[in-house]
Amino acid sequence: MSEKLNHRTILRMQGITKRFPGVLALDNVDFSVRRGEIHSLIGQNGAGKSTLVKILAGDYPPTEGDVYLDDRHVAFGHPRDSRAEGISIVYQELSLLPNLSVADNIFLGREPGRNFVIDEDAILDQAKEVLGQLGIDNIDIQQRVALLPLAQQQLVEIAKALSYKPEILILDEPTAALTHDDADRLFTILKRLKEQDIAIIYITHRFKEIIEICDRGTVLRNGKLVSVLDIEDTNEEELVETMIGQEVETFFRQEHQEAQIKEDELLLKVENLAVPGKLDGVSFELRRGEIVGITGLLGAGQNELARSLFGVQEHVTGIIKRNGKAVHIDSPREAIELGICLLTENRKEEGLYLDLSVAENISMPSLRRFLSSNFVPLISARKEKEAAKQFIDKVNVIVRSAEALMRTLSGGNQQKSILARWLLRDLEILVFIEPTRGIDVGAKMEVYRYLDNLAAEGRGIIVISPELIEILGISDRILAMHDGCLVQEYERGEATEELLSAAIQGASNYQNRNST
Amino acid sequence: MEAAQRSHTADANWAERIEKWFQSWGTVLVALVLFVIFSLTAEYFFTLQNFQNILRQVAIVAVVAIGMTMVILIGGIDLSVGAVVLSSAAVMNSLLFNEVVPAVPAIIIGLLAAALVGFINGLLIVKAKISPIIVTLGTMVMIRGLGQMILWINNSWLWVRHPIFTYIKTETIGSIPVPAVMMFVLYVFAVIMMTKTRFGRHIYAIGGNERAAHLCGIPVDRTKILVYVFTGFISGIAGIMMSARLSAISPGVGLGLEFEVITAVILGGTSLAGGVGKVEKTLLGAIIVAAILNYMTIKGISAHYQRAVTGFIILAAATLDQLSRGRTSS
Repeated sequence: MSEKLNHRTILRMQGITKRFPGVLALDNVDFSVRRGEIHSLIGQNGAGKSTLVKILAGDYPPTEGDVYLDDRHVAFGHPRDSRAEGISIVYQELSLLPNLSVADNIFLGREPGRNFVIDEDAILDQAKEVLGQLGIDNIDIQQRVALLPLAQQQLVEIAKALSYKPEILILDEPTAALTHDDADRLFTILKRLKEQDIAIIYITHRFKEIIEICDRGTVLRNGKLVSVLDIEDTNEEELVETMIGQEVETFFRQEHQEAQIKEDELLLKVENLAVPGKLDGVSFELRRGEIVGITGLLGAGQNELARSLFGVQEHVTGIIKRNGKAVHIDSPREAIELGICLLTENRKEEGLYLDLSVAENISMPSLRRFLSSNFVPLISARKEKEAAKQFIDKVNVIVRSAEALMRTLSGGNQQKSILARWLLRDLEILVFIEPTRGIDVGAKMEVYRYLDNLAAEGRGIIVISPELIEILGISDRILAMHDGCLVQEYERGEATEELLSAAIQGASNYQNRNST
Repeated sequence: MEAAQRSHTADANWAERIEKWFQSWGTVLVALVLFVIFSLTAEYFFTLQNFQNILRQVAIVAVVAIGMTMVILIGGIDLSVGAVVLSSAAVMNSLLFNEVVPAVPAIIIGLLAAALVGFINGLLIVKAKISPIIVTLGTMVMIRGLGQMILWINNSWLWVRHPIFTYIKTETIGSIPVPAVMMFVLYVFAVIMMTKTRFGRHIYAIGGNERAAHLCGIPVDRTKILVYVFTGFISGIAGIMMSARLSAISPGVGLGLEFEVITAVILGGTSLAGGVGKVEKTLLGAIIVAAILNYMTIKGISAHYQRAVTGFIILAAATLDQLSRGRTSS
């Protein structure tokens, strides 16, 4: 049945194209959603999901294409327009004001009352009602949001979106910080909303969830529509393969690179690493030739772990041994001297010098290498440019010249430049936080190849990523974290998405010994 | 591979290129235009003697502006430079006048004292994390007070009486006044330092993205403190030049210098937000300001108007800087 004829269709986005300077984020995408269905938007980071959804939410208009609600053409100039049309969105980054109470947050901007005076009682009553409708009874509505655990904050955010009585609810990674039980509670709520004929657009990386609660799924890749699936008729593996466009086995690692791991060469040994409130005594090892993947829910401590290894985390206790010797890493300089580098997830804010050239960006930590001679401490522009060009090519940064300003590059190329920077620096241990965030599928494969090659060259790599599929695909060993603790370690092949998912959510059934 | 496409039309490209060119060469264009206008409308302007005047006039401001450029590049500011010029000159000439030490040690002590002020600035700004405006405002007042105290001990002002200073004041090297030669030499040194040393590169990195610089292993704190020390030191050198020029150090020496210097830096295209700017363009900015003031003097325009014009230039330059930044950051 063609989408146009389906009488249950409430949303139809047709021929949506969105261009940003230097980037084609969406290319002629069609997307429709029916009343009373949970429709998943599937794709890797950079596939265009966020862009599509932001257009729907009214953040910006499409460059080309039309949006129809109930066959009525609509154009949103502002997020409030879409909200007025019955579209509510819950972003992954929470938009709650931390110092206000739950109730105040829910009604922010439309407080009931007369003549400038806010009706406090009405706020409390209505907030209680909204949460009650969702079956949420364990949150104190007068509590300041900042004091709630992240999971409850997310629930409040969802309640807030629902209080606008939307016809279309968009959820972007709603379970990123939720436990199994919370997620189940959420699913119950969503099913209830389905019965009320509300359309739900659900974005997630958790394929298990898609299979569990979604009715249909639209798969995007590199800004293009790949297919629209009936979830009943598919399984997780097929979903992943549709998403990445090829078989899972060849996407992440070319061959099973077991031989390169030097069992008795310990590059790094971490004992009882702790950060009060964030990290609770984590110990692990990194061997030469290994890729260790660390994953967990938001806030499980993996970022603090990475930062501790690079000297940018405060209040760290515990022992770090580099090549058997205990060391103190108090600054990035010291980390680099120990042969450790960190690529953070905020590459733009924390990595780029927008007003310097690409070459200057890439060479920054390695300047000592480009001095004209040992006596004259002047930078040789020639040496610098040559080296930069070498790595620009290696990492395939698309740019007209190495002298171009970093500001003029696209997001993906900017990220690759940071990678080029640390490859040039040539360190033994590389720690990557979300290495493929915001990069399209083709570039992702390139990144995985580099990680492979770097490991094969005898380095030790630590990758931190929330994408379970990615972690499963590239790691020789996987560390699953939950609530600041390392809950389980898996060798390659021992883990599945199900086990990992359970482990990071703190469930008790994540040990493979007992499962078939 | 990369899903990238240039979405510019031919027109947008053309306008973009003109804007970029103007950002790099705009100041030079302005200088040339003014030069031509001034030469045509004032007979005396285009004479060797007048150019020598301009060069003498600009030398002190331009020299201090080297340090100020670096400070603004890392995202700070230094309002104490005028006070440091006064006090280092006071120290040097007090030692010489009272015949405590010979010339060279006196000058070295003066320079060290100037550098010390810079070190104090740097320490308070970087380690105590107090804002640069507040710190250097404080040191400005304090150091001027100390300088004036030195003068007061010596009966209110100090005669400058040493062959070195006479030499600097009156001589020329190949028809370029000595102070200007000093200025050019210092600028050559500064340009090399900023473009070809790691220290210079680190300054641009810190100004561009301090967090990224830290993550690259750049010694951010140390570099920032050194910049303030250097600025103090170069103000000390300006103290030498000031001594030469004035023949007597009085309590008002260097008052308002910081604003002339900042004007030159902004006019030269250095962004107040940090990270963008070139030392050689600061020199051009200083020369433009000096030329404008010189022209007004030739034309008999009163000093009050001159001050108003300087203020106007600061505002205009800062506004243009903000506008151009607004465009490129989108």
